[in-house]
Amino acid sequence: MSTSLITIGRSGAAAARANLELAAQNIANANNPDYVRRTGSQSELVASAFIDYQPSSALSGTVIGGVQRANSELTQRQARDSGSDLARATAELSGLRDAETALENSQLFEGLVDFEAALTLLESDPTDSALRTGALETARQLASTFQFAETALGNARSLIEDDVTVGVDTVNAAASELSRINVALVNAREGTAGKAALLDARDATLRDIADEFGIAVEFDEFGAAEVRLVSNPAPPGEPGVLLVAGSGFNQLGSAQSGGTVTFNFGGAEFSPVSGAMAGRVAALSDMTVRQTDLDAIANATITRANAAQVAGAALDGTPGSPLFSGTGASSIALVLSDGAGLALAPAGAPAGSRDTSNLGNLIAAFGADDGPIAATDRTLLSLSSRIAGLDTTREGLAIINSAAETQRLAETGVDLDAEAASLIRLQQAFEANSRVIQVATNLFDTILGLR
Amino acid sequence: MNPVSNSTGAFFERSLGQMGSLRETIERLQTEIATGERIQRGSDDPVGASRLRALTRLERRGETEAENAARLGQDLTQGAEEIEGIVSILQRARELAIAAANDPVGENGRAAIAEELEQLGEELFARANGSSITGAPLFAGTATGPAYVRDASGVVSYNGNGQNGAVPVAPGTEIERGVTGPQVFEFELNGSPSSAFAVLSDLATALRGGAANPAQAAQDALAGIDSALDNSNRAQTVIGTRLAWVEDIQQNQQNRAIDVAEKRSDIGDTDIADTIVRLQQTLTALEASQASFTRVSSLTLFNAL
Repeated sequence: MSTSLITIGRSGAAAARANLELAAQNIANANNPDYVRRTGSQSELVASAFIDYQPSSALSGTVIGGVQRANSELTQRQARDSGSDLARATAELSGLRDAETALENSQLFEGLVDFEAALTLLESDPTDSALRTGALETARQLASTFQFAETALGNARSLIEDDVTVGVDTVNAAASELSRINVALVNAREGTAGKAALLDARDATLRDIADEFGIAVEFDEFGAAEVRLVSNPAPPGEPGVLLVAGSGFNQLGSAQSGGTVTFNFGGAEFSPVSGAMAGRVAALSDMTVRQTDLDAIANATITRANAAQVAGAALDGTPGSPLFSGTGASSIALVLSDGAGLALAPAGAPAGSRDTSNLGNLIAAFGADDGPIAATDRTLLSLSSRIAGLDTTREGLAIINSAAETQRLAETGVDLDAEAASLIRLQQAFEANSRVIQVATNLFDTILGLR
Repeated sequence: MNPVSNSTGAFFERSLGQMGSLRETIERLQTEIATGERIQRGSDDPVGASRLRALTRLERRGETEAENAARLGQDLTQGAEEIEGIVSILQRARELAIAAANDPVGENGRAAIAEELEQLGEELFARANGSSITGAPLFAGTATGPAYVRDASGVVSYNGNGQNGAVPVAPGTEIERGVTGPQVFEFELNGSPSSAFAVLSDLATALRGGAANPAQAAQDALAGIDSALDNSNRAQTVIGTRLAWVEDIQQNQQNRAIDVAEKRSDIGDTDIADTIVRLQQTLTALEASQASFTRVSSLTLFNAL
């Protein structure tokens, strides 16, 4: 009887110590965002036997159960999905902001207005060579402004394209990691610390993938994940294309051409629905539109200026020659070499004419509602409106994501106060169990001391 | 065990996020105050930014038009000065003609008068070919100079054209650059075209013996000189009116520039008082949350262990 008392005390003290270890582990990982809080389980042990058909049982203390990992699949999933949506909006916003910075910092609008002003100034004295040179230099400045804007926009684009390449590598690395984790999970024993650590690693990897692509995940009975990238088009009956299943994974590839990005697994192409990749795809296609707009504005500048030049007479009375060469923002260049070549007078006017009717036509064509100045304003307005709208969406998504993350952390994170309380409780339990052993020893001594 | 806890990590993350967003607000307000601009980039206020661009263009156009008006004013002032000179030349010629019309002057006196008239004719010719500061002829219309040329026989003829050309000085307002030579110097005399140059040189020729009765010829020339005077007086009035118009326009331009600047300021400028109050408010909130964060985060059971 007193032997079993010692056994009970010993098992209790062991259980308390095991749980103390878990509390210490929790405290050590309080700052680890991938760590899910562990708890220990224990169950009562009653030894029972039949002796001569008579049931007999003996209390035998407690058994240390497995390591339990707080179950958080639903909140993990919510955090992942809202994270994908937020990543999409953030990536698109950052791409478009780069485009906005490129267009605004190039001072294209100011360049066009300066050119208009330089032309208007010529109205006062069309034969003044200083004013003519001034207008020509403003035109030169304008041409280089177009090229600057084009280059800056191109840089913003190639930044995103690089991000796409890096993202594909990240996803492939994560997929290969996940397939290894899947294999290990099948082999790991339920309730072991090793299994819990594998599950932590699995959820962290899933979050990494979800940042790039929206994913749909299914878990089997071992906790191994089957991951699909939510895609358009999707295979029939499935939310998306298969990335990882069991021990295998598909190698993701991407193809970029002319502002569109598509992804593939060696075969059919698909485009992502959420995640940073979807945002990058959207930002790239938007930038292509801006680049087309910029080219159209440059082209309007070239054709309008040249049409007016050709319809007029230069200072020496000869027919005007084109002001700009090129067809778009990247190719626009000043070809007129001398301010005297600006054709301000109508065709047929004599040399040195101060008639400005052709200049008037040029200014009117340039400043018209369908002219390059108005088009630049429209492009900037539509881009910044888009960004402002997207910013509002992003703020909303950030709030949703932060709520989901808080929820996830509340379910999986370590509460230091709770752990401190556990420490005290478990310490007392350990001491109480040691006391039981001492009592058993005293009892035994009492019996031995009988005379 | 209770599956949901008050995670310490979540608490730190949350506090960090809240203080981060407060800091972000403070930085934005600080930038607004430092730059004086409410709109740092187009997406801060797309419509406001577009209106700012339109105002920038208006402002730029206003500056250009003001410069054009100033140049136009200079040209007109110079034209007015030349015409004033022309008027006094013609007045002197009239005095000389009256003197010559009086018999007692004698042949020598008439020769002297003819000499002076020829001098006046030269001066008239020089003034007719006057040019602006930038060297453009004042009375040649839109043609390049000179306005008047003299042929081998001494006949002065107009070399310019009949267009004045106009300078846009305000939206929808163009003011003509000046007056053409014919408007100043040429007129109809007794049904046939004549000019101030012709009247003066004819009189000089007559006084030098070209006419049988020089006194009568001088008497007859008075009508021509009077017409020339009328003509240049008219031109002076036209230029004077335009100058006054330019001054009106310049006044309007200044008012418009102030209007545009006010609108610009309404849309794009930081409301300093408002921003400072909001900055102070946010600073107070940040300080309070920092203080409470340190208090709350130091409340841990581990202190009691």
